[in-house]
Amino acid sequence: MNTSLKRLTLLALPAALLVGATASAQAQEWTPIKSIEFIAPANPGGGWDTLVRTMSRVIQQEGLADQNFAAINVPGGGGAVAWAQVARDTGNPHKMFAASPPLILVPLAGASRYDHTDFTPIARVITDYSIILVDADSEYQSLGDLFDALKENPNLSVGGGSAPGSMDHISMAGVAAAAGLDAASVNYIPFSGGGDAMTNLMGGHVEAVITGAGESVGQLGEGSQLRALGVSAPERLGGGLADVPTYQEQGIDYTFDIWRGVVGTPDMPEEAVAYYEELFAEMLETDGWQQARDQLGWIDAYQDSEAFSAFLDEQQEEFSSVLSDLGLLRQ
Amino acid sequence: MDALNNLMYGFGIALEPINIAYVFAGVFAGTIIGMLPGLGPISALALMIPITFSMEPSSGLILMAGVYYGAIFGGSTSSILLNAPGVAGTVATSFDGYPMAKKGQAGKALAIAAYASFIGGTVSVVFLMLVAPLLSKVAVSFGPAEYFALMVLGLTAVVSLSDKSLVKGLIAAVVGVMISIVGIDMQTGTERFTLGSINLLDGIDFLVVALGIFALAEVFYMLLRGGDSKEGPRNAIGSLKLTRSEVGEIAGPVSRSSVLGFFTGVLPGAGATIGSFLGYSMEKKIAKDGDTFGKGNIKGVAAPEAANNAACTGSFVPLLTLGVPGSGTTAVLLGALLVMGVNPGPMMLEQRPDVFWGVVASMYIGNIFLLVLNLPLIPFIAKILDMPKALLLSLILIFCMIGVYGMSFSVFDLLLLLGFGILGLGMRLFGFPAAPLILALILGNIMEESMRRALQISGGDWMTFIDKPISLALLVIAALSLTLPLIKKRRRKA
Repeated sequence: MNTSLKRLTLLALPAALLVGATASAQAQEWTPIKSIEFIAPANPGGGWDTLVRTMSRVIQQEGLADQNFAAINVPGGGGAVAWAQVARDTGNPHKMFAASPPLILVPLAGASRYDHTDFTPIARVITDYSIILVDADSEYQSLGDLFDALKENPNLSVGGGSAPGSMDHISMAGVAAAAGLDAASVNYIPFSGGGDAMTNLMGGHVEAVITGAGESVGQLGEGSQLRALGVSAPERLGGGLADVPTYQEQGIDYTFDIWRGVVGTPDMPEEAVAYYEELFAEMLETDGWQQARDQLGWIDAYQDSEAFSAFLDEQQEEFSSVLSDLGLLRQ
Repeated sequence: MDALNNLMYGFGIALEPINIAYVFAGVFAGTIIGMLPGLGPISALALMIPITFSMEPSSGLILMAGVYYGAIFGGSTSSILLNAPGVAGTVATSFDGYPMAKKGQAGKALAIAAYASFIGGTVSVVFLMLVAPLLSKVAVSFGPAEYFALMVLGLTAVVSLSDKSLVKGLIAAVVGVMISIVGIDMQTGTERFTLGSINLLDGIDFLVVALGIFALAEVFYMLLRGGDSKEGPRNAIGSLKLTRSEVGEIAGPVSRSSVLGFFTGVLPGAGATIGSFLGYSMEKKIAKDGDTFGKGNIKGVAAPEAANNAACTGSFVPLLTLGVPGSGTTAVLLGALLVMGVNPGPMMLEQRPDVFWGVVASMYIGNIFLLVLNLPLIPFIAKILDMPKALLLSLILIFCMIGVYGMSFSVFDLLLLLGFGILGLGMRLFGFPAAPLILALILGNIMEESMRRALQISGGDWMTFIDKPISLALLVIAALSLTLPLIKKRRRKA
């Protein structure tokens, strides 16, 4: 599929040239001289892949760059295969990948030799939040009800869409700890995805589920079989989730970001980073992006390279303390 | 006659000229994608998302659904002609399809596959139309314990799939389960049998194994036998026509497997691959001439082909009524629908009836297109067997390698393919059946995961498998299907 994508890209190249480029207005600035390999470190269909394809499409449709962003899937090892590939390509200004918390969690669990410090963070782009769901007929009306029940009976199962020690588990452990529970005592049941977890919740096979808010939007609202107890955002979300209270509103001081951003090769030249930072910031302003973003339930959360690097360092610190509480730290 | 009115409404949408064009383009592209190993429906659909973005949601889904069921329809071709399954759902088709091609009945095997696919697809659209909203309850009633029991039932097929020696069949099945264990363990995050290689972290892809131990092993075997052997595909396509008695023979298997396949497809964790295996082993068990399965029995082609197409349609039930994807392919479809601004789920039938009924109606049309498109092509496609053997073998070799490399772009996987080719050759030479290995590889993973998940939820209490009625029923059927043949045998002796 890689080759066919590249072929598509080559076909689309002249078109992109004709459209012209706003970003190359100043001649002395660095601009890419060939197609950019924009890697989704997973199979088609997931969060990384959707981000890569949506960004590539918007940049091309809005004529923001004079070179094409070619979406490429490099699946394997929860991202580790792609990271190993990019890490070998020091200084290449035409290669980057989509990243999210696994870039930090997978290395902490000992499953990747490379972590975010080996790469050049370019920009954080969007964020999603965790959401805690129960069955619509459930007796739990608030997070307090759920956590009280968990305190009494730690065996109650909480399903999530990712492996132990990955996003959903960390997020659940974090909020449980903030609510006064022992993070390691939560009976977290990993499912193969948020959809799988929600199906099991509807069937009454687990008590509650934690998953991405964006992924759950379609399941909530009128006639829904599920009820949302809280989101991990600092303030209420819009759209179909406007009725869902935050953790903080319910007296639990905890937030969790499922951020997504773009990270480049090791030691990517500064002028290239500056070019991409600006390009992505510009992309966020376009109508095409805003439309796609709203449909996918994403929230803009732009940070430039410097802020994003600092943010990633903070995240690493926070996650490693949660992981060590859970006994899953393997560094 | 609510369903009829709705269907008429759906046809109003599906019969718009532009949508007819999309159905045709979708099933045509799907057929070709299905024939080529490697480029599966998942990658193809992901590539299409940017194209469908600006379309009407109903047209977009009509096009993409066409690619999906078209690929399952077309996937049988390479299974039958080259013993190289184009998509995972058609592995079981090669068990009898390839032996038929070897006997000079390639044309008939392809024709049966096309008819069975057509009927499986159409029967399941009728089900989709009539009972989809009711079935969403069935889909969620399957939790980890129920999936475990279903997989146990599936694994009992090992007995029927190992024809000569049960011991050798069981050994092959154990190897299959072992292969399924490789990779990061979903429940604990522990690496198992990865030998420290990042290439093995995600486990071994099912198609690498299937192409290795079926297609590549076949190439090696033919090379070993030398050029003059009669083992290779005979250079004859044979007649496409089915006799009346043959039609009568496959009518039962096709209708049973269509229903079975549809319900397997409805379960989010099962799908076309498992459906086709269940269909195959069920027919083998109840057939009077069960011992000729695996040697070119027409029922062995008809059953899995009806089942996999029915399961493909069935997988639209959880997708459209619950908004829950049951497989990688439907996950991509869900993503595409969200991008187009449609939220599949319980409210979809009320909010976007145009999408639901439009797609259902388009499936009737798509299945007819597939039949009309595929039947006249059979003589041309089957001509591939008229090639000189040297060319044909190299073609299969290239086919397998492109297929594997196209999935992951990993040279490592090519070496794995070679390894499984050699393993497959060894198994053939020493009389180990390959089918139990593949079956155990598919089911082993889900069985282990479901069992541990169920136990984790129940706090380690094994009674959870017996307390749940569905799980108990499935386990009892599994126990019966293992013991009844033994009791029968003993009675006959006595």
